[in-house]
Amino acid sequence: MRRFLAQALVIARRDFGAIVLTPTFLIFLLAPLFMLSVATIGSLGAMHVVEDGRERAVVLTGPDELPRLRKAEQRLRGIVGGDPAPPQVSFEARERDAARQARDLLSRDGVSAVLFDGRVLHTERGARDGDYLALLGAAASGTQPAIKALSIARPEGGAHARNATAFGAVFLLFFLSLLLASQAIGMLAEERNNKVIEILAAAVPLEAVFLGKLIGMLGVALLFSAFWGGIAGTAAALHLGGLSFEAIAPATGLASFAVLFLCYFMLCFLLLGAVFLGVGAQAGTMREIQMMSLPVTIFQVSMFALASAGASAPDSTVGVIAAVFPFSSPFAMAGRAATGVPAWQHVVALAWQLLWLGITVTIAARLFRRGVLKSGGGRRA
Amino acid sequence: MRVQSDFVLTATGLEKRFGRKLAVAGVDLAVPRGCIYGVLGPNGAGKTTTLRMLLGIIDPDAGERIVLGASRPREVSDRIGYLPEERGLYPSMKAREAIAFMGALRGLDWAEGRRRGVEMLEAAGLGHAAGEKIRALSKGMAQLVQLLGSMVHRPELLVLDEPFSGLDPVNQEKLEQLILAERDRGATILFSTHVMAHAQRLCERIAIIAGGKRRFEGTVDEARALLPMRAHLVPRSGNGDTATFLPPDASPVRDGFDFEVPAEGIEPVLARLIESGHGVAGLSIERPGLHEIFVKLVREGEAAA
Repeated sequence: MRRFLAQALVIARRDFGAIVLTPTFLIFLLAPLFMLSVATIGSLGAMHVVEDGRERAVVLTGPDELPRLRKAEQRLRGIVGGDPAPPQVSFEARERDAARQARDLLSRDGVSAVLFDGRVLHTERGARDGDYLALLGAAASGTQPAIKALSIARPEGGAHARNATAFGAVFLLFFLSLLLASQAIGMLAEERNNKVIEILAAAVPLEAVFLGKLIGMLGVALLFSAFWGGIAGTAAALHLGGLSFEAIAPATGLASFAVLFLCYFMLCFLLLGAVFLGVGAQAGTMREIQMMSLPVTIFQVSMFALASAGASAPDSTVGVIAAVFPFSSPFAMAGRAATGVPAWQHVVALAWQLLWLGITVTIAARLFRRGVLKSGGGRRA
Repeated sequence: MRVQSDFVLTATGLEKRFGRKLAVAGVDLAVPRGCIYGVLGPNGAGKTTTLRMLLGIIDPDAGERIVLGASRPREVSDRIGYLPEERGLYPSMKAREAIAFMGALRGLDWAEGRRRGVEMLEAAGLGHAAGEKIRALSKGMAQLVQLLGSMVHRPELLVLDEPFSGLDPVNQEKLEQLILAERDRGATILFSTHVMAHAQRLCERIAIIAGGKRRFEGTVDEARALLPMRAHLVPRSGNGDTATFLPPDASPVRDGFDFEVPAEGIEPVLARLIESGHGVAGLSIERPGLHEIFVKLVREGEAAA
């Protein structure tokens, strides 16, 4: 195994140097600048989307008062209107200890103010929604409710923030894999064109060649990510460009999340890269490689779609499938790292993904061996 | 402790099929330690496939091979050097780096490979090219760089597939010297070719493969003994009936006759000519070359296939 890894690292070292020590790598490294300018324009639209994710106000009431309160709410909503619109109001059955029920609600993510028993409690950020509920209370009963602001200790981030972080993690992983892993499809083209492949195949197992090429490319991807991650991290630390670490609210804590994200990024890259490398290795010409890029990209997008569908509901059927299916697993588990799952799930998932990396590389190498190197060279003196 | 066998490589009944085509149909080989061994065969005879099976690049469908004592050649790949028929190097690599890289693939330390690479290039008269990128070298120079790369880790077994193909006579001579130097170092050299002159000059033993099968195995002299010697005889005075005193296959050529030397020798033929008064003005006897043996065996092989 040690020899196998040493051989893979020789290939990786050659590939890493061949890619990084060229002027074209600089173009590759700086290419996201173009995307950033596009993203800046897109983010203006995204701000509206964020505002749509406002918290709701809750009215605790018994069944007798419910019709009156609903009617009053409809009337009030018609009068107040405007921009920003009044909060979404939901009516929930009042429990015996309504004060405690209200505090529990406010400690949850997504609830800004609660009206109960002629009183309004609201979070620090929910004063406007509290005022709206006070108006509602007055409109329904004719008496002005007492308003009280509460400083509510919520779990770090809250579900909304965690879900946003989960989706962000899945998306970032997809984005990076789209940018970087898909390049693996043409990685054996150089060896085939230059006829180096037989030298490699004679000296080291093809599995080591494949793994080495993936590791070399992973090195490039990590360099790329470290460069842009470093810039983004510095901007977030200095609160530049609207970036802030506060926006990232994983359940596991920022440091653990960063480590897990890095692990899943590497495995995502290696797993998808192995698929792309294996598919690309079957291609004999650049035209064939280009033709194969489409199905490969569709596969990549499918994995992202599967994982993002389960990102906000990790325990749903889709979420579980996404976490178990080996090629969507890194995406899904990166999302789960944000929403918070027991540590053993990460250990199992990483082992599972490593196993599939081995399986994929082995299959890809065997297919390559079967398809190539089956005849002598055509060139004779 | 490594047990030294008399043979660095043995193969028994190697077979390989690609789809419906039987590329190699049961090849046996035994390559003695320390010799230069040639695998000869026409294009498409299965030489490259045989070498690839011996190196473990592909596995045989049947038969077995023992290379440097291992039944799985890949386990001893660090002790083998290989120059494939289809030459290939990374064009952006410098010559010394290319040699070091090939050594590193076989377990040699990268820095040591670089150092040896420079030394070997200088010894081969290519010292000026050490820092040149492969794309800047001529085809022949690049081919020599690749050969040096296959030797840099000082292998016990050096396998060269059509090493002379594409080289000009000067570089062919250089390559022959390199092969002989490797043999003198103690390495065993196995090379394939379909150019008989190289085999005749270099090989101590040869195997001739045709139609996927081995048709001959032995020394070059043993191969040449497969065909009788040929004589060219010029009678001193011909009166038209000279041929009656010669073997039945004698055919008139220029000033004399060509015929195979009979099994009992040339002396009875000479005695008949002298006694009949024809005399002998000239006589030359030639042993058949490897080329003739090769052509004969290949034709027989193709007929049998």
